[in-house]
Amino acid sequence: MRKGRVDKDEVSRLSVDVLSRLQDLTGDPYSYARAWKGRTGGKVMGFYCHYAPEEIIHAAGALPVRITGENRVISDSGAHLQSYCCSLARTGLDMALGGDLDVLDGTVFVHTCDTMQRLSDIWRLDAGFDAHFDVVLPGRMEGDSSREYLYQELGSFRDRTGEYLGPVDDEALKRSIGIHNRNRVLLEEMYRLRRQDPGVLPSDEVLMVVAASAIMDKEEHNALLEELLGTLETRLSGGGPPPQSSLCKGEEKEEKIRLFGIGSVMDQWEFLRMVEDAGGTIVDDDFCTGHRCAGAVAPEGPDPIESITARIWDGALCPCKHAMSRDRAGYLLERITGSGAKGVLFFQFKFCEPHAFDYPHVKKALDEHGIPSLHLEIEQGSVSIPRLRTRVEALLETMRGA
Amino acid sequence: MVAEEGRKLYLKIDATDRMKQLMTEYYIDAKGAEGTDRPICWITSGGPVEFLIAMDVIPIYPENHGAMCGASKMGVQLAEVAEGLGFSGDLCSYARLDIGSAITHGGPIGGLPRPDFLLCCNNICGTVQKWYEELARYFEVPMFLMDTPFIHKTTYEHATEYVRKQCLELVAFLEEQTGREFSLERFAEVAMLSVEGIELWKEVLKTAEHRPSPLTCFDAFIHMALIVTLRGTPEVVEYYRLLKGEMEKRIENGISAVPEEKHRLIWDNIPIWFEMRNLGQLFARNNTCLVADTYTTAWAIDIKIDDPLTSMADAYTGIYLNISIDLMFEKLLALIERFSADGVVMHSNRSCKPYSLGQYDLARMVTERTGKPVLMIEADMTDSRAYSEAQVRDRVEAFIESFP
Repeated sequence: MRKGRVDKDEVSRLSVDVLSRLQDLTGDPYSYARAWKGRTGGKVMGFYCHYAPEEIIHAAGALPVRITGENRVISDSGAHLQSYCCSLARTGLDMALGGDLDVLDGTVFVHTCDTMQRLSDIWRLDAGFDAHFDVVLPGRMEGDSSREYLYQELGSFRDRTGEYLGPVDDEALKRSIGIHNRNRVLLEEMYRLRRQDPGVLPSDEVLMVVAASAIMDKEEHNALLEELLGTLETRLSGGGPPPQSSLCKGEEKEEKIRLFGIGSVMDQWEFLRMVEDAGGTIVDDDFCTGHRCAGAVAPEGPDPIESITARIWDGALCPCKHAMSRDRAGYLLERITGSGAKGVLFFQFKFCEPHAFDYPHVKKALDEHGIPSLHLEIEQGSVSIPRLRTRVEALLETMRGA
Repeated sequence: MVAEEGRKLYLKIDATDRMKQLMTEYYIDAKGAEGTDRPICWITSGGPVEFLIAMDVIPIYPENHGAMCGASKMGVQLAEVAEGLGFSGDLCSYARLDIGSAITHGGPIGGLPRPDFLLCCNNICGTVQKWYEELARYFEVPMFLMDTPFIHKTTYEHATEYVRKQCLELVAFLEEQTGREFSLERFAEVAMLSVEGIELWKEVLKTAEHRPSPLTCFDAFIHMALIVTLRGTPEVVEYYRLLKGEMEKRIENGISAVPEEKHRLIWDNIPIWFEMRNLGQLFARNNTCLVADTYTTAWAIDIKIDDPLTSMADAYTGIYLNISIDLMFEKLLALIERFSADGVVMHSNRSCKPYSLGQYDLARMVTERTGKPVLMIEADMTDSRAYSEAQVRDRVEAFIESFP
């Protein structure tokens, strides 16, 4: 339900408006793109991975829109991808083949895992979009030659997309970098305020805010974030009522147990609400649709491709990327401790090799530090909330007892 | 229909004894080197082993060992060790059993000798990158990742340059690890032997163009061990000369690998190691020879002696598993034509996503372009738990019966 324009003084209603808007957006992510296209006549480019250089697409006047699959029963993609392929690829391809992504003019695939690499081929051969681009990022994210290659590949992508979307000049790209940097700074600020007091906004809404940033115009999203942050700051200083969807029950409001989320795509809103209901909250995360989209900004300088290179190079690492000098368990431990989380939720896709390979190593480190954790493996389209609830409750109970 | 009598279904290749001897010597030598000052490096099957040979480093291939464990039907018990440690049963079974073997020293040869360092090349998959990271943590040894950008449509100059630079980084890494100096002359010598070995291996495979074929892909799967593990050495050259001679003699004497070859097929994907013997006999009984495959040809790379570094960068980047489905299709099509095949058998391998995802599209492309049928077999290269022998037998027989 969309609300009308709200008086600026009514802080609590403003947040309700923002959040209901987010729910509309994330519930039907492509209707925004359709409206945007109708309004601007611009091109819409889909992408799967948070490493996609959105700035370049944006600077060419197109709208980058993230694809994260959805909870659906597979029909068409079963003829292209085996059942031992992750549901992110299977449901996404199913959407493309079924016409659900018709708003897209093209797709940008970024090299991450073996599955995305082959999905790109199949998508290009079968999905029938006008344009298809691959950004073959290095697998190794350390060493000068890898960084140089990353720079070259981004430049090559800029030239290749330019042929389709129209040339991207330095000034336009610098402007886009500024807008995207602003977005990352604001998202980071949201995460900071939440670490300060997780009660200020429930985790499903936090991740919805991040998800919205990947499907809507960034400047519009920046405005939305500024509004939202204003509300959160008022709440933190005790100036407004608590958020609408994390209703506290009378006076007996108990502090929620702080958890840290580890995984790739996290857009299972019902799951996140269940965790909140069960008395936990994901106070911080390493999801690639979460905190990995915030933080690292592109240092602004004379060469915009160098700026984007630096952002990707120094930013959070996906388990698909290799850098022995950046131990993932050590990195996560630091993040977990810094967030004040007392436990960890691994929320991972079945058949996701990069995450599954890292799990025993990370789990061992958590055990050594006495941090309890729960490993959940899901497939989009067959997420059973009651079954997951039992396991989440068991974790929270253990933690309360400890 | 079914040929049982007349001649044995499987005709032993005489050269096999020599190969077994070479492989045994290689493993005994490598295991003996553990704890001495002779450096041992674990390397992926698509890795540039020529650098190791040129630096007198002993190369060890966990994938070759994985195939051995699979063929000895020890894959499952070793994989279960890793699964007990939290490694998902959906992960590559080579990786699982290798981790299990590293911990327990299990397997047909009592495990592999401990590595001093690791060389991983992601031209075959991203899996090896994660698998070797785990090995690096477990053994607490350094790892070098040779990063070969995937080719979707064309090779870009900056990608070739990146891999070429990494060849130089690899040299520096090896110099640091071994305390030895890299010699370009020695490297050129090794590259030359490698090329010679590869050429002979290609000629061995080429003998299967003859109708009837003197060898099947099941033979090739066994005899590829040396081109994978020891290319760049004189023994490999000598061995494939021997094998090639034997195959040519078979052709001269009218001896075929399958007693009555009526149908000729191409195999796609890694073998089902634990089921090789049964599958070989199943096809032979049904008068069908698997004359070529996309797997053993993956080691038929081109290296140019006048510029070994650049040509190696191109060769290692351009291998079969590092190219897009449409580029793979061209290679598959060429195999079908060259070997006069009547169809294709695809092993949809749960363990290998870069090899298997896309097979459904490839199968359609093959049939659309050539009118030839494709059979899909669901299995795993070493994990027999997901395999149904009866179902596969029925499907294979029904497939072959459909041929005129």
